[in-house]
Amino acid sequence: MELQVSREELNAGGSLPPFYEEDVLVLLPRDPYWLHAYWEISSATLQWLVEEWKREEWDSSVRQIRVYRHLWEKEGEIETFFDVELPPTAGNWYLEVSQPDYYYHVEFGWKKNDGKFYSLLSSNTVRTPRDRISSIIDENWTLPDWKFRRLYRRISLFNISSPELIREHPHFSRRKNQDLRNKMKGPAV
Amino acid sequence: MPQGFLSIVLHAHLPYVRHPEHEYSLEEKWYYEAMLECYLPLLRRMENMKNEGINFRLTFSISPTLLAMMEDNLLRDRFKRYMQNLQNLAHREEERTAGDATFAPLARLYREHFDQIAEYYHQRCGERPSRILKELQNDGFVEVITTAATHGYLPLLDIQKESAYAQVAASIEYYTDIMGEPPRGIWLPECAYNYGLEEVLEELGLQYFLTDTHGLLYAAPRPKYGVFSPIVTNNGVAVFARDAETSKQVWSAKEGYPGDFYYREFYRDIGHDLSYDYIKDYLHPPGLRSDTGIKYYRISGAEAPLDHKQPYIPEIAREKAAEHAGNFMFNREKQVEYLSEVMGRPPIIIAPYDTELFGHWWFEGPLWLDYLCRKIDKDQENIKLVTPGDYLDMGYPLQVSTPSSSSWGDKGYHEVWLNGKNDWLYPHLHRGARDMIHLATEHSDTEGVMERALTQAARELLLAQSSDWPFIMTVGTMDEYAENRAHDHLVRFRRLVEQISSGNIDVQWLEKLENVDNLYPHLDFRLFQKQETTVPVEVATIEK
Repeated sequence: MELQVSREELNAGGSLPPFYEEDVLVLLPRDPYWLHAYWEISSATLQWLVEEWKREEWDSSVRQIRVYRHLWEKEGEIETFFDVELPPTAGNWYLEVSQPDYYYHVEFGWKKNDGKFYSLLSSNTVRTPRDRISSIIDENWTLPDWKFRRLYRRISLFNISSPELIREHPHFSRRKNQDLRNKMKGPAV
Repeated sequence: MPQGFLSIVLHAHLPYVRHPEHEYSLEEKWYYEAMLECYLPLLRRMENMKNEGINFRLTFSISPTLLAMMEDNLLRDRFKRYMQNLQNLAHREEERTAGDATFAPLARLYREHFDQIAEYYHQRCGERPSRILKELQNDGFVEVITTAATHGYLPLLDIQKESAYAQVAASIEYYTDIMGEPPRGIWLPECAYNYGLEEVLEELGLQYFLTDTHGLLYAAPRPKYGVFSPIVTNNGVAVFARDAETSKQVWSAKEGYPGDFYYREFYRDIGHDLSYDYIKDYLHPPGLRSDTGIKYYRISGAEAPLDHKQPYIPEIAREKAAEHAGNFMFNREKQVEYLSEVMGRPPIIIAPYDTELFGHWWFEGPLWLDYLCRKIDKDQENIKLVTPGDYLDMGYPLQVSTPSSSSWGDKGYHEVWLNGKNDWLYPHLHRGARDMIHLATEHSDTEGVMERALTQAARELLLAQSSDWPFIMTVGTMDEYAENRAHDHLVRFRRLVEQISSGNIDVQWLEKLENVDNLYPHLDFRLFQKQETTVPVEVATIEK
């Protein structure tokens, strides 16, 4: 029973787009010491930037990623940051952070020749894996009641609504163009 | 009362490698080989032990993609063809070697083995091995757990929680369809955990998952009992971890049992050894030099070149398997003796293995496991075989702690699945998930052709998310195949997204996709819905 259909036919002559024409910056954890970031700046945003800035400002600016380390165990509270200059054609970068068990996020933008960093995109936050036995030795023990654990499912019940049960989820967020443009009007730091 | 517990966890997974568009494919052969050499012999041995009254308990993790291939009509037909062809070859080999004191008994061994497995598959399994698994589970010999739907690498997908959710939920759905009840535990694909995944697991009613040694050892706060007791996450999901020492004895190619010089040599196969004219019709695909599964030589020596291997002697290999089973048991007894004294309560040793090691790479593996179960039942009282679920039922208080992000891949974290060879994949996977979440949310009450298109889009995205593709790209074997698979599913997905968005579905083309990428017939694309728009709803209680 061979199905008379070719790979080409199934792919309908399609190929993967090199770009999606969107502004996006994503951060992924690789190991306790390295993160990976990838990004895309849409041509519309680039066009807008070129128009907004003076030609010589644009020509002399450098693409840069700013890596923020949060205070230990305190997601959202920035402790320190460092910058990585990027070649103009790069679409992703491996970032050596060297610190296991810390929260990080990154911003992508341009450094103008006045030395200031203009941030365009902000990433999600990730936490680096640990690389050693924890020094925290607080012990908290529990006796889970497995027998009465419930099975929760959303399946097929997607229309039911109960606001008190709805949870907030930290989402991969992509700022809308307008937010980006507002943000671009001033330096991040 | 045993001093400690041993949990042997066999993880069976193959990516969905069904290729109706080709008469023969090397990738489908992975599946046939694993069926014939690993899954069926293991099931048969477990059933025999059950029938002989041996008291054993094993944990079997089976991936939904593998289950779906076992259930698929086309692959069932093709597997029968594959098996018949090998039986024919084995019969011919028996004739060819007749009178040869060394090789005739070996040819007979293979012929008998293939005939027995074929009969088992047809008569006992009724071509559906999942039925046997279900029986073994119901009779209390096996606990069957699941993994993510297409073995997606969750730490690199959970940037959208919906992706991790859909991977796990689709898997539980399919498992429940086949096994009749939801699983208690999950084998995280590649043992890969990232902070927060337990939210999804808890929400879907899973009670435990497994990590590699350091995933638990580096948990915070520090786990008092190391890997010899599970911990429990803040939201109440238990975490078990592999014991490195136990693994090494079986895994390690050099120090482990499978490297014994009397065990069968994997790389010396008659598919390469015998004359082309004789063997060509039995190859897969016909005419292409490849392994047949019939191998007459033993490992012979640490550095023995392939052309200096000695003939296999089954009697000695059997003795070795028994000896190794005894050695493994003895070491576990000593281990629990020591640990129980230090811990003041019975330890649990988790020994997880890839099922494909047993029978395929390590020919004597199923026999070793058989001996081990029998010996543990009859020859000692210090250790008891349990499943992770059994251990939880014993009601020991568990320490609350959060495991470290980790995997069981090279270097222990996520680099195997995220490096210069495969990082091109993630922008497409994440963008795909964003589109799928959007469409699933917008079109939640759709039906007819549109619903079919959305369901197929969910299938294509799930298939693109398999951890196997980036893994193969990294290790560099069949990397073109892996790149094509990831690429093709993403391309098909994107075309579906375009058609769904424009409301203009090419039904003929959709039908073709449904016939080729056909897994999970009851898949609900709404699993990808944006999470804020849905609520968890209680639908069942686990009575265990």
